[in-house]
Amino acid sequence: MTLWRLEWHRLIRTKRWLALFGVYVFFGFLGPLTARYMNEILDSFGGNLEGAVIQIPDPIPVDGLTQYSANVSQLGVLIAVIVAATAVTIDAIPEMGVFIRTRVERIANALSPRVVISAAAIVAAFATGALIAWYETAALIGPLPAGDVLAGIAYGAVYLVFVVALVAAVAGKARTVLATVLASVVVLLLFPLAGVVEEVGGWLPSHLVGALAGIPAGIPASDYLGSAVVTLITAGLLLWLAARWAAAREV
Amino acid sequence: MIETRGLVKRYGSKTALDQIDLDVPDGAVYGLVGPNGAGKTTLLGLLAGLRKPTEGTIVVGADPSKVGVLPDTPNFDPWLTAREVVELARSLTTSSGASDRVDEVIEEAGLSHDADRQVGGFSRGMLQRLGVATTVVGDPELLMLDEPSSALDPMGRREVLDLVSRLRGQATVLFSSHILGDVQEVSDTVGILNGGQLLYQGPIGDLLVGHATPVYTLRVRTDPNPVAEALRGELWVTSVKVSPPDTLRVSVTGVERAEQAFAAFLADSGVPLISLAPEAVDLEQVFLELTK
Repeated sequence: MTLWRLEWHRLIRTKRWLALFGVYVFFGFLGPLTARYMNEILDSFGGNLEGAVIQIPDPIPVDGLTQYSANVSQLGVLIAVIVAATAVTIDAIPEMGVFIRTRVERIANALSPRVVISAAAIVAAFATGALIAWYETAALIGPLPAGDVLAGIAYGAVYLVFVVALVAAVAGKARTVLATVLASVVVLLLFPLAGVVEEVGGWLPSHLVGALAGIPAGIPASDYLGSAVVTLITAGLLLWLAARWAAAREV
Repeated sequence: MIETRGLVKRYGSKTALDQIDLDVPDGAVYGLVGPNGAGKTTLLGLLAGLRKPTEGTIVVGADPSKVGVLPDTPNFDPWLTAREVVELARSLTTSSGASDRVDEVIEEAGLSHDADRQVGGFSRGMLQRLGVATTVVGDPELLMLDEPSSALDPMGRREVLDLVSRLRGQATVLFSSHILGDVQEVSDTVGILNGGQLLYQGPIGDLLVGHATPVYTLRVRTDPNPVAEALRGELWVTSVKVSPPDTLRVSVTGVERAEQAFAAFLADSGVPLISLAPEAVDLEQVFLELTK
């Protein structure tokens, strides 16, 4: 039994993997379906709302990924934050924190597997959902270039790694899983608000959320490169802070 | 093995530990005694590196990988089996992957039948024994145990005390407890902590001889009250308590003086004697003397 295997067991035995993949796969199926049949769905509700007529243009392939991206950027990220928080909040149960802390040379040794396994699982769930959405989009609406979709997935993965790093840093200060989740969500909500400023928005991590739909829609992949670099540097800084704050904490 | 000098720990304006000069000799079984809130857990936390001192120095003469720490209420991820918990502890403290040592400590902890059960269903006593197993599995040179027997039933408590006794000569053990009988039974060195101050530390034998007021129990075949009055007039007697119908508890200034004077007193007074015996001094008595 190693700390890496411990994290694997945490993911599997506590069914966290099921929550993650359940949400992302569900939205992977749901996104293209709602994009393709939105008119029919509205018609089934009457289509005519007190004289107002809602007209939705015929779906185009990128709508499938736009729907998926919109859905997972909220509930998907929330699940990711919860899964990461339950892993990286080492001192949530102080006695368990003592068990680990008194047996590792540096707290970073205990944090690394928690961050890496959580991030890998979250990225895998996101990529799985995105690939399902891509396949279903091709089947229901029309094909999308593989390179564009894969580039979008890669940028989305960078954002999710940043999310895990942020949660790890917050856990270095917050004592409980709930506090870690709430504080992380608040910080993540601040990014889109800051993104309203045009000069800043293109450099923020939250800019990457739109890459999965944006690149197939025609935005050059290079437009997201600056944001990806900033996001990776920030993630590295957050992980350094996470280890530093966790080491400084008294149990 | 452990030496602290001028160790102070403050939480805001509250001083949890004040100028602690702790000396734990190599190979000792050191019992740290004190009431709840005395600072025992804080002191162990500082020594284990889990907390940082406000002032003072700590020297621990063992490699961190050879130090085993057991908190007062050990807890583990509930979805791990007992064997996995011990294997994890083993893998984190030694490069040797020998599984026979894992089985050995599980058996010593009395958990062989529950080794493959998830620990989420364990009682507090089982968790405590599992905690002891995780602490000793890495063959530590220094063990720090915080109230290791407090949650256990009499049988579990006996097993832990036996385990601590067996470690004598193999490792230095520092354990805290408010159960004075446990400390007296297994420790060779004791420290008494109260209100964040170390009131005494040293060999337990010296403590018992040097700090408790000697008390004799005298039983007479007559009314004990006149005897008590007569004893109260003696310079070597500090107090006399009468327990009807025939017993007196006589506190004296010193054992040597009392041994000579008691015989003379009884001979001179002609008191019909049933028995006279010194009371066994125990740690509880000394502790109450020091902390009153």
